[in-house]
Amino acid sequence: MPNTSIDNNDIMVQITGLKKKFGDLLVLDNIDLNICRGEVVAILGPSGSGKSTLLRCMNRLEEIDAGSIVVAGETLVKNNEKGEAQYTTPEQARTILSHMGMVFQQFNLFPHMSVIDNLMAAPKIVKGQTDDEIRPVAEELLKKVGLYDKREVFPARLSGGQQQRVAIARALAMRPDILLFDEPTSALDPELTIEVLKTIRQLADEKMTMAVVTHEMSFARDVASRVVFMADTHIIEENTSQEFFRNPREERTKSFLKNMLD
Amino acid sequence: MEQILHTSALMLEGSKVTLEIFLLTLMMALPLGLLVALARLSGLGVLRWAMEFYIWIMRGTPLMLQLLFVYFALPMVGVKLNDISSALLAFTMNYAAYFAEIFRAGIQSIPRGQYEASKTLGFTYVQTMRHIIIPQMVARVLPPVSNETINLVKDTSLIYILAMNDLLRVARTIVQREFDMTPFFIAAVFYLVMTFVLTWVFKKLEAHYAKYID
Repeated sequence: MPNTSIDNNDIMVQITGLKKKFGDLLVLDNIDLNICRGEVVAILGPSGSGKSTLLRCMNRLEEIDAGSIVVAGETLVKNNEKGEAQYTTPEQARTILSHMGMVFQQFNLFPHMSVIDNLMAAPKIVKGQTDDEIRPVAEELLKKVGLYDKREVFPARLSGGQQQRVAIARALAMRPDILLFDEPTSALDPELTIEVLKTIRQLADEKMTMAVVTHEMSFARDVASRVVFMADTHIIEENTSQEFFRNPREERTKSFLKNMLD
Repeated sequence: MEQILHTSALMLEGSKVTLEIFLLTLMMALPLGLLVALARLSGLGVLRWAMEFYIWIMRGTPLMLQLLFVYFALPMVGVKLNDISSALLAFTMNYAAYFAEIFRAGIQSIPRGQYEASKTLGFTYVQTMRHIIIPQMVARVLPPVSNETINLVKDTSLIYILAMNDLLRVARTIVQREFDMTPFFIAAVFYLVMTFVLTWVFKKLEAHYAKYID
């Protein structure tokens, strides 16, 4: 295991024994996963393997049935005596989840707000920051994703790639310690995919901690520090991205890679 | 000509009653309808059930019957209201039910992703509704709300049953007194002017919101 030497304080997300069902259907079974500070973890796997659900469990868009999730040392959820998942108080959960930002496949920008207002809404409403405090930060973030000149435009006027870069900037405006990406380029044309991946790569260079569910093999290989491969509710294999692509161990992984890279 | 001017002046007085009922009902029924819609969508079973019952009663019985009930039946249980208060109560309760259903449909048409994005940014439920969902809902429900609002202008004529001198009742009184049908035409013009203004206002509102709709 590549990360055993890392200090416990550097574990940003620690998932143990996670189980998740949709009704009677088991979608995640006994998942253990750690994400360390500064790491970029790519979560790969065929459709229906549970990778998006795993990501959504991390920030409680889905609630787990058993297991524990610890974020930056604080316990979001753990098993009670009966072995069922028990979440912490709503106030504490809110604080814990504020460590995480999320970027969605469908961008989910607020269509009734201009680009800059999309970035400033949460800092103002949730954190109570003033316009003077947050506007320079928001402008800086828009410059970073190359959309400063679009700041007064409504999202409907932007391309998908531009919308997704705004969504990334919006998540960053809340100063998260870890960013979750749920198939951030799956709704985009190939040329728009490139500009979004460039932005994510830029964040990786700045040592942003990220978990990225993706189908982009080259991105996983070049940008991710670690790859987690999932299939049929389980983590089949995890390794540094170099090793993962060079020497896949499991048969399931080999056939997946063969299909994806051919 | 002078006769028409004189009649119109009388009917302008009647229009004041019509407009008063219209505006006050709108001002109360819109916010009440929003509260009912939110209560109906809430997780509380009792609240949801109560709101469904309320909407069923209000939409399932004639507005005329509701007016008569408030004016004539409520006094029997000790609630005595004058004519204008009775009219306002009945109209507000009735229209709030219709608005509530429009708002509910509007709220339910907002994609789940908007709630999820809000949640991951740390918004509470109340903050999400107030800043994200309701503003988008308003844009979407403008056409049906415009419809109901125009209906309300015309429904105000029902208050003649409470012997209130609204536009239509004034017209009818003159017709019966003078054996001249002109007041009916003048009344029609008055209603058309009011609905024309409303249509124009809603058109402006729709144009204002159109700038962010795909």
